[in-house]
Amino acid sequence: MYWENYYLPETVEEVLKHLKDSNGNARIMAGGTDLMILVKNGIVKTREIVDVCNVKELNCIKEEGSLIRVGALTTHTQLAESELLKKKVKVLAKAASKVGSPQIRNAGTIGGNVVNAHSAADTAVALTALNAKARIQGAEGELEKPVSELYVEAGKSFVDPTKEIITEFVFDVPGENEATAFMRHAKRKALALPILNLALWLKTNSDKSMIEDVRIALGPMDYKPLRALETENILKGQPLTEKTIKEAQETIVKEIKPRDSFQGGASYKIEMAKVFLARAIVEAVSDLGGKIDG
Amino acid sequence: MGKKQLNLNVNGKPYELYVEPDKKLVEVIREEVGLTGTKIGCNNGECGACTILLEGEPVASCMMPAFKAHGKNIVTVEGLGTAQNLHPLQKSFLAYGAVQCGFCTPGMLISAKALLDKNLNPTELDIRQSISGNLCRCTGYKKIVDAVQGAAAELRGEKEVKWPVTTEDDIVGSSVTRVDGIPKVTGESKFANDYFFPNMAYAKTLFSAHPHALIKNIDTSKAQALDGVIGVYTSKDVPGPNIVGIMPHIKDTPVLAGDKVRCYGDAVALVVAESAEIAEEALSLIDVEYEPLPGVFTVEDAIKEDAPKVHEGGNLLLHRKMYRGDVEKGFSEAAVIVEDNFKTRMNEHAYIEPEAGVALFEGGVLKVYTITQGAHYHRGEIAVNLNLPVSKVRVIQTTTGGGFGGKIDVSLQVLVALAAFKTGRPVKMAYSREESMINSTKRHPYYMHYKIGARSDGKLTAVQAEIYGDTGAYSSHGPGVLTRTAASIIGPYEVDNIKADAYCVYTNNPQAGAMRAFGSPQASIAYEALMDELAQKLGISAVEIRRINGYRKGSVIPTGQVLTDGVGFMETFEKVVEKSEFNR
Ligand SMILES: Cc1cc2nc3c(=O)[nH]c(=O)nc-3n(C[C@H](O)[C@H](O)[C@H](O)COP(=O)(O)OP(=O)(O)OC[C@H]3O[C@@H](n4cnc5c(N)ncnc54)[C@H](O)[C@@H]3O)c2cc1C
Ligand code: FES
Ligand code: FES
Repeated sequence: MYWENYYLPETVEEVLKHLKDSNGNARIMAGGTDLMILVKNGIVKTREIVDVCNVKELNCIKEEGSLIRVGALTTHTQLAESELLKKKVKVLAKAASKVGSPQIRNAGTIGGNVVNAHSAADTAVALTALNAKARIQGAEGELEKPVSELYVEAGKSFVDPTKEIITEFVFDVPGENEATAFMRHAKRKALALPILNLALWLKTNSDKSMIEDVRIALGPMDYKPLRALETENILKGQPLTEKTIKEAQETIVKEIKPRDSFQGGASYKIEMAKVFLARAIVEAVSDLGGKIDG
Repeated sequence: MGKKQLNLNVNGKPYELYVEPDKKLVEVIREEVGLTGTKIGCNNGECGACTILLEGEPVASCMMPAFKAHGKNIVTVEGLGTAQNLHPLQKSFLAYGAVQCGFCTPGMLISAKALLDKNLNPTELDIRQSISGNLCRCTGYKKIVDAVQGAAAELRGEKEVKWPVTTEDDIVGSSVTRVDGIPKVTGESKFANDYFFPNMAYAKTLFSAHPHALIKNIDTSKAQALDGVIGVYTSKDVPGPNIVGIMPHIKDTPVLAGDKVRCYGDAVALVVAESAEIAEEALSLIDVEYEPLPGVFTVEDAIKEDAPKVHEGGNLLLHRKMYRGDVEKGFSEAAVIVEDNFKTRMNEHAYIEPEAGVALFEGGVLKVYTITQGAHYHRGEIAVNLNLPVSKVRVIQTTTGGGFGGKIDVSLQVLVALAAFKTGRPVKMAYSREESMINSTKRHPYYMHYKIGARSDGKLTAVQAEIYGDTGAYSSHGPGVLTRTAASIIGPYEVDNIKADAYCVYTNNPQAGAMRAFGSPQASIAYEALMDELAQKLGISAVEIRRINGYRKGSVIPTGQVLTDGVGFMETFEKVVEKSEFNR
């Protein structure tokens, strides 16, 4: 027996009411693609399920002024197919398009991907590079917190799905000289967790000759998507040249400390990080119409 | 826990059901709605056999609570077309030969339907992506992709899929539609897990907790006491000799382990209960007292003098010699000699359908509907171990979802028969993917030492090889597999002087058995690598050295047999050279 009760509320209010009434014995389910396995393997035990799949207000991708809002219930398929994201926030559309398989993408959501707190969760890595914030609602009210601060330890989120819900993710619309890229390598093209993924957000000066600002996130490296801060610092303010990229590659090699895993060896991951870093920069810059000087 | 009302619309028909809130969608579709075309291959979202359309989108119904679909529209394979009126996709899958065992087919068809519903002009990549969540272990994907293209063309109104493929008079020399094809594309085929009988009970196996241990005691009392448990059985409850094995002279595998376990895949106890969930819970209540023994996990360790013995007779099960000519002489004639060590690893067959079976008494005959590649062998083992005359046992091979050699050995057949025999009830057993992996046979891992000599003109003069096959805890086909290796020690190449020593060795690893090509692929890893090395050293091409030595009419193989008819190697080889553009 997995659970005794199953609720299908239609509003956030009802969700919070169920969670409160159950007093820690109920848990949110979105797509269920992580939770079903956690429950089956006895890692998560819950007496009640509050399935949020019918809370329509949480399923949306909107551009509002300088912000993009992505509802926590948006599925990977919706992210991957969103014209808005494909045009302006490639990193997120592409990350979502790489998750599992069509069946998994049709059910799995961005909220679940983040709360499951896996360090290489594809959309979570992308959101980290986008510096996205999560809006969290609980009995005590609302709270906004950067995605990068939602990790307590591997597999454990700051968000407690027995008490609160992520309603949406918010980040800045990439501006005129800003572009993103996502790189991923896995043993197979479908149904395989990443050996390595890397998300990049980058801003150049107006003539696209210099990197003004940059954010790089990678998984699986740490207990959460890793920001390569030293590498970012090396890149900031530097001209877009092969030399700059080379220096950044040398830095990232020293900065990251991946582990040997079933997916791949540490030394291999380091080599791939070097390759991905260069490819991501080249892609982002060329999307902006710029190029890397020799 | 109370049942709750669940409203589903399945294939256009409304259903008002009452089910437990923790039922999975796949269970409700199969057991409550009664549509068994939707399959379970992994219960982990990984294989796609359970794919259905939920509000038009393909999803894995094994990963969904049924209530997620409350009030929603579902399409299963049964909703595509009927035998009399096949959907273009169903016709096309048959016409293009995209259906083999048929276990992946319903999910595959549903994923393809989801694609064509949105896009009637798919590229090959579109198709491959649309079925990327569906694994097929038999057909490969090429024919499936072609079949989807074929169906798309018909749906665009361009070209009808040629169907039926053949009429009765032009069967010889032409492609024919497989005899069991139509039910496989409509979802009507019955695989073992698709059988349901009134009053049916469910059985589960308790597997060993150790790879090598003595069993000191098994206390089943707590499990027996659990509400809903009908019986818990151990080795003492097996009426017959409690031993099986495909090699008639080497029966070494207990049905239920008695005094000792030799691998994790050993069955230690059997629970029969009113539901699979109760049986599962009961497993955790069985107390087995083990005395762990040191194990052997590599052939190197297993053949040492003082190695722990997996079986009383020692760890060396077979030494097969294949000697011909004079290798010393052969090597002395060689201009080049190459030599190396090789190791291959264990393979799992990973048929998409895990093991399943249902046993029941009908008119005094014990009928066992089950997956099998050896119905008569299984019948014999059931009869002997239940002390029944073979005439009182009937094994019915259900549509079998892939085997590749892995469904020849006894897996759960004797257990499910025992469960029905003891309880008098129809009993079903269905292994999960994990149980299937733990219990089923594997391809033998090999340790090989090879030495091959060739003259300066490229002609092979001698081959000497020592091969160790790890058969795991039980013999299964081990001796046969190693004998086959010895006989094809140098594959399709002719050599006059041969000395091959093949050893079959017990370890505490999972039992190895039959798998496609039965001992030949492992050896090819070694000799093909060395053929390349020889060519390199002789300064001739990798193609040339194979042309010089390949089997032709009149060639003599290691056993001394002279090949007279149907020697297709050179023809095949030249085709490969051409198609692979090897010489480009
Ligand atoms: C076969 C397979 C392949 C996969 N491949 C990939 C892959 O390639 N890349 C990848 O990143 N992931 C992969 N996954 C993991 C999984 O699909 C994703 O993490 C998915 O995004 C999880 O979302 P969900 O909606 O299904 O979450 P659920 O399973 O519903 O929930 C996951 C966790 O988050 C909580 N939760 C969900 N939504 C909220 C919310 N809004 N607020 C608060 N708590 C919430 C739940 O309580 C639970 O603890 C795969 C899974 C499977 C089964
Ligand atoms: S994906 Fe559902 S059974 Fe394999
Ligand atoms: S036909 Fe696809 S798994 Fe057998």
